[in-house]
Amino acid sequence: MSDTVKLIIDGKEITASSEDTILLAAEKNGIEIPNLCYLKEMSPYGACGMCVVEAEGSPKLLRACSAKVAEGMVINTMGERALKARKIALELIMGDHKGDCIGPCKLNCPAHTDCQKYVKEISDGDYEGAVRTIKDVIPLPASIGRVCPHPCETACRRQFVEEPISIAYLKAFAADEILKSGKHIIPEKKASTGKTVAIIGGGPAGLSAAVKLAENGHSVSVYDKMPKMGGMLRYGIPEYRLPKKVLDAEIAEIEMLGVKMVNNITIGKDITLSEIREKYDAVLIANGAWKSSSIRCPGEDLEGVFGGIDFLRAVALGESPAIGKKTAIVGGGNTAMDACRTAVRLGAEEVSIIYRRTRDEMPAEDIEIEEAMEEGVNFRFLTNPAEIIGKDGKVCAVKLQVMKLGEPDEKGRRSPVPVEGEFITLELDSIIIAAGQKNDPAGFEDIATTKWGTISADEITYATSLLGVFAAGDTTNSGASIAIKAIAEANEAAKFIDAYLEGIEIPYKKAVISEIDPTEDMFTEYEKYPRIRMPQRAPEDRRNDFTEINLGLTPEEAKAEAKRCLSCGCHDYGHCKLIKYADSYCTDCKRLKGEYHEGFKETRLEVIARDQHKCILCGLCVRTCEEIAKKGILGLVGRGFDTVIRPEFRNTDIASICASCKKCAQVCPTGALRIL
Amino acid sequence: MRIVIGEGSCGIAAGASKVHERLSLALKDTDINIGIAGCIGMCFLEPIIDIYDGKLLLKRLVRVSPDSAEEIAEALKNNDLSALDKLEISESDSVFLKKQTRIALRRCGLIDPESIDAYTSDGGYTALKKVLTEMSPEDVIEEIKISGLAGRGGAGFPTWFKWNAARRSQGEEKYLICNADEGDPGAFMDRAVIESDPHTLIEGMLIGAYAIGAQNAYVYVRAEYPLAIVRLQKAINEATEKGYLGKNILGTDFSCFLKIKAGAGAFVCGEETALIESLEGKRGMPRLKPPFPAEKGYENKPSNINNVETFANVSWIIENGGKAFSAMGTENSKGTKVFALTGKIKRGGLVEIPMGLTLREVIYDIGGGIRDDKEFKAVQLGGPSGGCIPKELLDTVIDYKALSATGAIMGSGGMVVMDEGTCMVNMARFFLDFTTKESCGKCVHCRIGTKRMFEILTRITEGNGKDGDIELLEELCDGIRSGALCGLGQTAPNPVLTTIKYFRNEYEAHINEKRCPAGECAALRTYVIDKDKCKGCTLCAKKCPVNAISGTVKEAHIIDTDKCIKCGQCKDVCRFGAVEVR
Repeated sequence: MSDTVKLIIDGKEITASSEDTILLAAEKNGIEIPNLCYLKEMSPYGACGMCVVEAEGSPKLLRACSAKVAEGMVINTMGERALKARKIALELIMGDHKGDCIGPCKLNCPAHTDCQKYVKEISDGDYEGAVRTIKDVIPLPASIGRVCPHPCETACRRQFVEEPISIAYLKAFAADEILKSGKHIIPEKKASTGKTVAIIGGGPAGLSAAVKLAENGHSVSVYDKMPKMGGMLRYGIPEYRLPKKVLDAEIAEIEMLGVKMVNNITIGKDITLSEIREKYDAVLIANGAWKSSSIRCPGEDLEGVFGGIDFLRAVALGESPAIGKKTAIVGGGNTAMDACRTAVRLGAEEVSIIYRRTRDEMPAEDIEIEEAMEEGVNFRFLTNPAEIIGKDGKVCAVKLQVMKLGEPDEKGRRSPVPVEGEFITLELDSIIIAAGQKNDPAGFEDIATTKWGTISADEITYATSLLGVFAAGDTTNSGASIAIKAIAEANEAAKFIDAYLEGIEIPYKKAVISEIDPTEDMFTEYEKYPRIRMPQRAPEDRRNDFTEINLGLTPEEAKAEAKRCLSCGCHDYGHCKLIKYADSYCTDCKRLKGEYHEGFKETRLEVIARDQHKCILCGLCVRTCEEIAKKGILGLVGRGFDTVIRPEFRNTDIASICASCKKCAQVCPTGALRIL
Repeated sequence: MRIVIGEGSCGIAAGASKVHERLSLALKDTDINIGIAGCIGMCFLEPIIDIYDGKLLLKRLVRVSPDSAEEIAEALKNNDLSALDKLEISESDSVFLKKQTRIALRRCGLIDPESIDAYTSDGGYTALKKVLTEMSPEDVIEEIKISGLAGRGGAGFPTWFKWNAARRSQGEEKYLICNADEGDPGAFMDRAVIESDPHTLIEGMLIGAYAIGAQNAYVYVRAEYPLAIVRLQKAINEATEKGYLGKNILGTDFSCFLKIKAGAGAFVCGEETALIESLEGKRGMPRLKPPFPAEKGYENKPSNINNVETFANVSWIIENGGKAFSAMGTENSKGTKVFALTGKIKRGGLVEIPMGLTLREVIYDIGGGIRDDKEFKAVQLGGPSGGCIPKELLDTVIDYKALSATGAIMGSGGMVVMDEGTCMVNMARFFLDFTTKESCGKCVHCRIGTKRMFEILTRITEGNGKDGDIELLEELCDGIRSGALCGLGQTAPNPVLTTIKYFRNEYEAHINEKRCPAGECAALRTYVIDKDKCKGCTLCAKKCPVNAISGTVKEAHIIDTDKCIKCGQCKDVCRFGAVEVR
């Protein structure tokens, strides 16, 4: 009995049934009008305000979900007023939507490794899945798992319960299990593009980019000046932390992918950058920062003074630097820790750390400091070398200025100031300066550098001043940092090299996501379950040799540890309608933030878990339960801002009334409902 | 001689029942009859006793205390009313009623609300008789159209149009609903009508039911009006007994049943579609319109909803003709309007005036101006959905169009008068607090948007306002007004918009100077002792709950502003006016 009408939606003339709503008519003609509380099968509800459209001649916006079409209507679904209304609706919703779209572990990892996913895979015993997940980002999981200072753990929400998940060791565990099994996890390669890429530097950055580019079908050659690949992982990290056979095995898998490895090649000596540029379609420079920084202290040129990374590299190459019985290491970072513990293992009887601040300010990881102390290293806090004293051109002592902590600077770090006239003299056979490292510009003179002498690379595309030459990792911009950051940059750079080679542009936009501001009281529901401790060799045993000190987790330990994960990242991210709209309408999630509605978690329906913090009160679950499932279990409770959705009224037998049809969770536009 | 005691809720609250009790005792051996009436509307004079000789009002006694009962009884027994002169309403207070034109309230406070005989003997139900015997439903609608009666609940939609739409809507079964879910803070017109003259409502509803063809009618009244419910139920019972309600009313073919539904006190149920949901036993949440209730209302049947005051005008219109009604008022607003005049006003109460009077006439001529002769600042019309009108616009005429032009609305009749001591930011905050709590929670804009506005207003009044807050409020107002689902949300920004419009400087003073010009916002108040006035009596120091005041006896005291919690007790106890608020 319904008539047909003609109308125009977004300039498109369409015919619709007079019974149709604007939303339905648009949908039938392939025009999507956003909505969060609408479902075709049910009567319109009108809560979300997302479907508003402009109708010519109407001063008011129309809710497309309920307004019927009419003859001659001219509808604009993307008019300025409608977009503004949607934006404010979304900002209001997002300001009261409490949840993490992405786990903080993944977000805080510079390379955005999907920690939550592989931790879950480990807890399920799916080690191969876990390694595939990690290798999606990190080609050297067993190595990185051992050495990474794990920013993921720093962000882990489990610390609000007791301690963060041991994410890095879980990564090493899964990778070790797969290495032990003899199975090689090698990514699929796309068809050859015929394009060639040279990578200078075979460290974590160079190797990561090599994998990504090879996967995309390019022919990749890695050049490195050292006899073997691995970069700082091989020549900077001591054997007792990262056994080189682990690294070898992982590099071997990269070779299996078809990456050509060329060692003992120094740029500017064996081949010039221009020659490489001529030979290859694109170049990535990832040669790291291999020069020890000076501390500008008299006596630095004496025999028996070593640079921190130079010392570690010599040991890695099998040399025995003459450090004597008494040595001291200047610095408080991880290199200083590696150096002092290596010195212990080389047989030095008295090993001291000279650090101008106190333990609290030390940039080295806590565990490294503790382990060094266990191995007998002396820590001389609040001291700073004033002069390295020599005898016959050889180090014999160091004069230390006694320091104290001054007022905190703008970053809150208290800077050390000398205590006038107070000095200590320490007798020494050698001194190792582990006070930072920098890149070596030799061979790369054609490229523009930063004021610090590092290669200047675009922060988004990693392009350098030379066409087709990209750079990533320690050699660029702000200089040396952690391996995972270099990997992250290399992966990103690979994306842009790929685009450069294919001649395509890739849009860059940071995705809008929701994040919580965690406080301890949000996590009171969880039972405390302490973090696993990595089993280790006893200090008195391990200090004598370079055999790995960590013994590895057992599968039982690893699974139990993985089960501690709170799964912060939303299960619905990727399907969530809310975040999709928030992202496409460029919403500032935090602009209209204020008090949050009363949230809670509950599982009374047994097959459905409700996280009321994420609920946007679209009412779809309530209406689906009533109108489609015909159960009417759910209801809106409370008034105004404090309104929530709960299983209503009947308390005791609610699960038995629920038909377990799961329809409510299926229609939920956010991650508030999850099928268990 | 007979006496009538005003026993509406306000009279009872002022002690009318006790007066009644004492008078009954004192007059028990006489033939002087004690009757009751509802509310005459002069809240500021309650309890009120009228002394009649037959129908002739001899004397009106005001502010009667239970202790005067014996004295009154004596005077009545002696037939010497001059002895009661001191209790008689003053000439100036009498102006309050004299300046009004009462149609909806025409019997309020004058007849016994609990007696149908009192109603019929005053001409009640003659309009119904006329309608049922002489007029077709179309005639009735035409008469209402001529009258120009518009919905008195706030929106001001022409009543005849709604009736006509419901009449023309397809379907045998139709419903007539009276919206008595009066919820605006400071509004009590509907309560007064039901408590004081329930049959006028019933009669108006029956005429409406006849016009649209409804067989069933509901009065949706808030449960917080217990006396109104009791009296209305009694009226329904009596009207049914006498054949004015139920089957074959007055022997005609017309049947109509009337029921009371007590609402649980949710403000949003005053919104017609939310009211219908609630009436159906569901959670009171608005529905999307269209479809309008005239098409699909209660139980998806054609329904018509009018406010109490609207119905209260109907029988008068039928009796006196639509023309008589439209003769009153202005071009676009006909008849009279009842206002609940409250706030910082000398004579507060119910006021019914013809449309077209100015606000100044109502506030000064009827209301007597501002209490304690303070300065008038603004008047809030329409409660949380309305807006404020400042001093400069006091000569605005009361008329739908003219009021809307100011940014306020006619509303259901709340008229809250504010003086110089009222902070307009805090006033807006008060109303937003109300809407935030009363929002049903269904739509995003109202549920979250009003909350955010409330939070911003709160931080402004607490001295934490930020640069850009006014603009953010305006942006939110705009978004909520256009995005909210129902009238509650769409009008919720009005108090904020009008206060920003007329008192932007007050917002700016709070935000930029951390100063509340009206001195009302506690967080921005500083208490200081004027050392010239302080006699060192130590009273303030003793009273201070946080020991913020120090000083030696007979010497000027000092308030430690860091410790001070701004409770104001020092100011209250100081006998020398030495404590100042800055």
